[in-house]
Amino acid sequence: MMLMYLKLLLVFFRIGALGFGGGYAMMSMIIDEASRFSITSEQFASLTALDMVVPGPIAINAATFIGFLAGGFWGALFATIGVMLPSFIIIILVMRFIERYRENKVMNSFLSGVKPAAVGLIAAAAITIASGVLLLPGASLSALLADPLGSISIVGSAIFFIAAIANIRFNANPILLTVLAGIVGAFLLS
Amino acid sequence: MKTSLKTYWALFTIFFKAGTFTFAGGLAMLPVIQRDVVDKYQLMSKEDFLEYATLSQTLPGVIALNCASFVGRQVGGTIGMLVAGLGATISAFILMILATILLQFIPQDGPVAGAFQGIRIASSAFILSAAFTLGKHNIKNFFGVFLMLAAFLFVMFTNISAPIVVLAAGAAGYIYHRLKTTRDQKEKR
Repeated sequence: MMLMYLKLLLVFFRIGALGFGGGYAMMSMIIDEASRFSITSEQFASLTALDMVVPGPIAINAATFIGFLAGGFWGALFATIGVMLPSFIIIILVMRFIERYRENKVMNSFLSGVKPAAVGLIAAAAITIASGVLLLPGASLSALLADPLGSISIVGSAIFFIAAIANIRFNANPILLTVLAGIVGAFLLS
Repeated sequence: MKTSLKTYWALFTIFFKAGTFTFAGGLAMLPVIQRDVVDKYQLMSKEDFLEYATLSQTLPGVIALNCASFVGRQVGGTIGMLVAGLGATISAFILMILATILLQFIPQDGPVAGAFQGIRIASSAFILSAAFTLGKHNIKNFFGVFLMLAAFLFVMFTNISAPIVVLAAGAAGYIYHRLKTTRDQKEKR
C-alpha cells in the first residue's frame, strides 16, 4: 500500500510539474496516467461531471478522485500533495529570480511552443472523454466510422453539440447549461 | 518581516472563499481573488497582482494554486504561501472525497442516472470550449496552428505520452525562435 501512495505522489508530481495551461490541459496527462491505476473511461467521464458540480481547481479534483479510487483517503491525500508540490517549488524559485525570469529568452521561446500545444492537448482530452460518454456500450471508434448512427447515442450527441455551441458561440453560462443537460438527461437518457 | 495572525487569516479566507464558491476550474477563480486581494484587503497593488496572475497561467501547475502561492509568499513568506495554498484547495479536496463516495450510490439506470449522464456529456463539451477559448489567446501564427495540430494528433493517435509532447513542443518553440532571430539578424546586415 505504501508503494501505491508513493506512486500516486510521483505520478501526480510529474503531472503538476509539466502541466502547462491549467487543469484542462493536464487532463490528457491524467487520462494517460489514470489507466495505471485501473480507472475506466466511464469513471473518467464521471470525474468530468463532478468537476462541474464540485467547486475548486480541476487538477485538485482529479488528483483527489483518482487517488481516492486507487488508495482511499490516504491515496487521495498523497495524489493531491503530489500535484500541489510543483507549484510551491516553482513559485519559490520564480520569485527569487523574477527579474531574470521575466526577460529570459530561453524560457519565453520554450513557452511559445508549449502554449499552442496545450490547446491541442485540451482538444484531445475533450474528444477522448466525449467519445467515452457518447459511444454506445461496446462500440469502438472504428465501429463509429462503419456505422455512425448505430454506435453513437443520438440524444447524447445532441446535448454535446448544443452545449458546446451555446458555450463557445453564445457564451452561455456553463452552470445553467449543466442544470439543463441534467434535466434533459433525466427524461431522455434514463 | 513579521506577519500577523490576522494577515494569515485573511490569506486563508480569500483563497478558501475563491476555492469554495467558483466552479469549473481555477481560471474562473482569478477575478474573484483579484477583487479580494487588491480591493477588499489591499494586500498588494493591482499591477503586482496582474503580473502574478499572468505568471500563474504561463507556469506549469494548478493555476489557482500558483496564484495563491505568489500572493501568499509575497504577503506572508513561506507560511503565508502554505496557508493560502491550503485555502485554495482544502474544500475541493474534502468535497471531492464526499462526491466520490456518493458516486457509488448513483443508481445504474432511471432518471438520476440519466441526469448524471447528461451532466457528463455537457461537461465534456465544456472542455472542448476551453480549448477554443485558450486557442484564441495562445495561437498567434501558422507555427502555433501547426504545433496545436501536431500535439492533438500525437496524443490522440500514437502512444507518445502527453508530458513528452509538451517538452517536444517547448523544444520546437525554442528552435523556431533561434532560427527566426538568426534570420532577422541576417536580413538586417
